[in-house]
Amino acid sequence: MNQLAIPHDHLETLELKNTLKKQKILRWLKGMLFLAPSIILFSIFLFYPLARSIYLSFFLTNNTGVPTVFVGFENYINIFTSPIFRNSLQSTFLFVLYTVPGAIIISLFLAIIANEKLKGIGFFRTMFSSTMGISVAAASVFWMFLFHPTMGWLNQILSYVGVDAIGWLTDPKWALLSVSISTIWMNIGFTFLILLGGLQSIDRYLYESADIDGAGYFYQLRRITLPMLSPTLFFVITVALINAFQTFGQIDMLTRGGPQNQTNLLVYSIYREAFMNYQYGPASAQAIVLFIIILIITLIQFKLGERKVHYQ
Amino acid sequence: MKKGILFIGMFVFLLMIVGCEEGDASPVQNENDATQTDAQDLTEDNEPVVVTFWHAMGGALEEALEELVNHFNAAQDEIYVNAEYQGTYDEALTKFHSIAGTDNAPTMMQVFEIGTKSMINSGAIEPIQTFIDQDNYDMSKLEENIVNYYKIDDQFYSMPFNSSTPVMYYNKEAFVNAGLDPDTAPTTFEEVEKASKAIVDANPDMKGFSLLAYGWLYEQLLANQGALLMNNDNGRTATPTEVGFTEEQGKSVFQWVERMIEDQTFANYGTSGDNMISGFLSGDVAMFMASSANVKNVIDNAPFEVGVGFIPYPENIERAGVVIGGASLWMMSGVDEHEQQAAWEFMKYLQTPEIQAQWHVGTGYFAINPEAYEEQVVLDAYQVLPQLKVTVDQLQSTTPSYATEGALMDMIPEARRITETALETVFHGGDVDQAYQDVVDQINAAIQQANRARGE
Repeated sequence: MNQLAIPHDHLETLELKNTLKKQKILRWLKGMLFLAPSIILFSIFLFYPLARSIYLSFFLTNNTGVPTVFVGFENYINIFTSPIFRNSLQSTFLFVLYTVPGAIIISLFLAIIANEKLKGIGFFRTMFSSTMGISVAAASVFWMFLFHPTMGWLNQILSYVGVDAIGWLTDPKWALLSVSISTIWMNIGFTFLILLGGLQSIDRYLYESADIDGAGYFYQLRRITLPMLSPTLFFVITVALINAFQTFGQIDMLTRGGPQNQTNLLVYSIYREAFMNYQYGPASAQAIVLFIIILIITLIQFKLGERKVHYQ
Repeated sequence: MKKGILFIGMFVFLLMIVGCEEGDASPVQNENDATQTDAQDLTEDNEPVVVTFWHAMGGALEEALEELVNHFNAAQDEIYVNAEYQGTYDEALTKFHSIAGTDNAPTMMQVFEIGTKSMINSGAIEPIQTFIDQDNYDMSKLEENIVNYYKIDDQFYSMPFNSSTPVMYYNKEAFVNAGLDPDTAPTTFEEVEKASKAIVDANPDMKGFSLLAYGWLYEQLLANQGALLMNNDNGRTATPTEVGFTEEQGKSVFQWVERMIEDQTFANYGTSGDNMISGFLSGDVAMFMASSANVKNVIDNAPFEVGVGFIPYPENIERAGVVIGGASLWMMSGVDEHEQQAAWEFMKYLQTPEIQAQWHVGTGYFAINPEAYEEQVVLDAYQVLPQLKVTVDQLQSTTPSYATEGALMDMIPEARRITETALETVFHGGDVDQAYQDVVDQINAAIQQANRARGE
């Protein structure tokens, strides 16, 4: 009996396996059907350009971008030995270091004070988030006037105080800082708005119970506000980091990568290499390097973030 | 593990697809103009032929150009020229490269002089020589120096249009205050230094001289010393393989600036021409160099009298003259023949003395057709603005040579950015020897890269 039963059982499991497999395939096809629109769009606008960039980065091209000579990894070797590219990497990291914490700390401060229930607070909330409505181009023009070496307000104020004029955008020591200041100003609106939204969604009861327990304002800030805000902060930091690495508009408007390539951030350097020098190969290699940098940073961030972020 | 292999497999497949379509236009798409493509459909009998004309004239220059175009459109009803501003010279050329040879290409386009080689290499243009031969059009009536620049291997590839040279602007009032003669501009590097010192001594709030960190000006200061920018006769006899200037010539400009920085008479406006001009107009600096195309604009806006002079050169060298800057008009090869003929008519129209006179007076670009200088408009304008004449004199007193014909190479835009960085380094007290060495090394590397990319 037993001897007969075993093959019978075996047959049954086989059948079961087959139906399971069929169902699996069917489910996979269904899933793909739902995913198809985004897969197609991503392929056209993201995967294809990415693959094309990788392909181009192994070639030299003519002025129209048609690959002509295969050079293997030479473009990569060249950009990493070039002092200009190393300088541009350094500037990019410095820029990220200035703008991301700068914008987030200021916005967090503004969001916390704008979260108080006061008369007319709506006016201040509108003011603080208003830079979100200003395009990079318009904001850059505005800052260009402020930074003007002789007629700019900043230098005029300095001269009233009796301090020597500063070459905000022309002095290599200041240019990156100046661009960072204007970028922080531009980013405050968006960051402020998201953080304020995060603050408002924190449950009031938490504060009430803390009040009853006799916790002070700063204790509440540290123990309730910041932990409850951490998912929002995490989102804001991720977006701000990626944005900072991809900064282009204000560089193009304010400094065009100068003085002495001090503000030649990665994306601007790619633009310059591809569309001003017509070196699409080396430009693609730089783009791939940027992609890898952002990829690594995002991965690290998610690994770290998982531990620190408190989701409800 | 399996997933990983699948992923890599798909990736390789994607790369292969990408690799298969070499000849494809670059992935950069040009978003504009769905409107011009139907121009071809309009070649019916009574409909005018539409010529799409891309240009890079912004601001006041765009207005002046629009005026010429409107004038042409109003004067006849067979051709309608549709002038479209495409951003700066650099941007316009980039746009062209991404759509060259497609239906989106314009009929004709304005390209700056250093884009000449790049346009020829693009293979999407029809040399103007074709139309010159067909009409037996006389090009010899154009300014000799311009003909020298644009005639390549005895062929005209493009039609010269707007040409300017750099000139030195100075504040006559500041010269008087400093005890200098306001009617003679300093001619050598050394004289500029001396004048700058006198100006700063007389008025500590005003700097003497400002040089923009602009590669074009560096090229001009080299040419004025008779120096070649690239070897092989500035690329006129063969494709350049390295830079053509000597160490002494190349360094002279850097050293000149360094001396003025030591004297504290130099004003640094970086790469921003607008800032420099507004600094000049508000009396922060007494002398600067810029294109003659700014003459009218600067004089109109200055609250003091403005002098215009030749660009300087080192004392121990004879003045060689300037290379013409500016742009020329290119005919595209892929478009309808009616359109080409119509564009050719428009190009010829722009050469006429009356139009060139109007253009010269309205902008400060010089007239490429010398007959224009006899026109009444010009003579009247010279009564009011004698400074306009300086640019013409400077060009006409230029000694023709390979140095003043200007360099021909497709990577000159890149070379300009390299010299600009070096100039900025020197402006901020960087080491002259190092800055010069960087220029030579980087330009040589760029030349080699460009030659390799062409498969030479």
